Amino acid sequence: MTAFVRNQWYVAAYGYEVGRELLGRTVLGEPIAFYRTETAGDEQGTVIALADRCVHRRFPLSESNLDGDRVVCGYHGFTYDTTGTCVYVPGQKRVPRTARVSSYPVVEQDSFVWVWIGDPALADPGAIPRAPHLTAPGWVSVSGMEPIDGDYGLLVDNLMDLSHETYLHGGYIGTPEVAETPITTEVDEGAGIVRVSRHMLDAECPPFYARSTGIEGRITRRQDIEYHAPCLYLLHSGITPVGDDSHVFRTEITYAITPSAEGKVYDFWAVSRDFAVDDEEVTTFLRDFNHTVVMQDVDALNLLQLALDAEPGDSYQELSINIDTGGLAARRILARLAEEGEKPVERTS
Amino acid sequence: MTTGEVYRIDWVPGTDLLHGRCHCGTEHTAQNPEAMWSWMLAHPDHPLTPSTPGTPGTPERSTR
Repeated sequence: MTAFVRNQWYVAAYGYEVGRELLGRTVLGEPIAFYRTETAGDEQGTVIALADRCVHRRFPLSESNLDGDRVVCGYHGFTYDTTGTCVYVPGQKRVPRTARVSSYPVVEQDSFVWVWIGDPALADPGAIPRAPHLTAPGWVSVSGMEPIDGDYGLLVDNLMDLSHETYLHGGYIGTPEVAETPITTEVDEGAGIVRVSRHMLDAECPPFYARSTGIEGRITRRQDIEYHAPCLYLLHSGITPVGDDSHVFRTEITYAITPSAEGKVYDFWAVSRDFAVDDEEVTTFLRDFNHTVVMQDVDALNLLQLALDAEPGDSYQELSINIDTGGLAARRILARLAEEGEKPVERTS
Repeated sequence: MTTGEVYRIDWVPGTDLLHGRCHCGTEHTAQNPEAMWSWMLAHPDHPLTPSTPGTPGTPERSTR
């Protein structure tokens, strides 16, 4: 199992998923209930994240109710304010001092709801990696989330080595050139970023791009991956017709890889484009088509995890080749971050 | 955001070889990524492997 990396920000939801209904998500094994405070005028409410277990009998608060900005446990009515402090218990005036649930640091940015898992005193919103195309003017995005019953490391492996597009996603986003083209890998150790680039000078145009751009012939295709370990993955994609680089069709493919529990991961995905932005048909096509592609990965990784679970013993043998250079780099960065996240932190006061 | 500590590995076009460059400037050629990362992460003590001057692309070759 890939070790969890604590003291990091993780995407727990899209902003549009969090409203006046409680939403339950589990991040790094911690069940969390999300909701949005009441709106004031045109202002959007603030996202609140509380531990998703009532202090009384552990009933899930995400299956409970809101009373204004307070959460009322759906079992016995223990009531919590936005900080997680219990402000009411049934039948008595005295609220026990220990009656509170943890609240989590939350930042809403680039359409994501980021939550900090670790020591709240270390949460620095400035450290959250950016995906500005998700909300930038002139860009249109489609997005979704699929849970996978697999170790989050399997999804990291999958995304760091796009040669699988040729085989798992052939006829959708994969063409022979993806697997055939050599990659360049860079690791920025200090920043915790792995970059993998693959530039195809003369490639078949897969249906994903042919149908969204209208390009009929062969293309120059660039894939530049930027993985901000542990959670945010950006694939900067640019295509032009071969011999005509007057206009680059840019697509930003975003993933947030959020470990849920052991052997479970949330696969947040988005496709953003800067062309045909007013064309609803293209938007619908990309949403449906990419959802199909994501489900191909989901099915494959669910199957892979079952196969790995059936392996005898605690470890299994792998064989890595050139295409795995970036994936191996990501594994190592994750292992380092996991180790750092477990260390006690010295504080000066 | 980029720091000064960047490792780079190129898959040499037309070959099965990987060419690596550590942030300290040392370079190395290897035949598989596990061997390459082992060499790379040994920084600053990159193991010197037998080199064959004048034959670019020879596997397991280091230069400083």
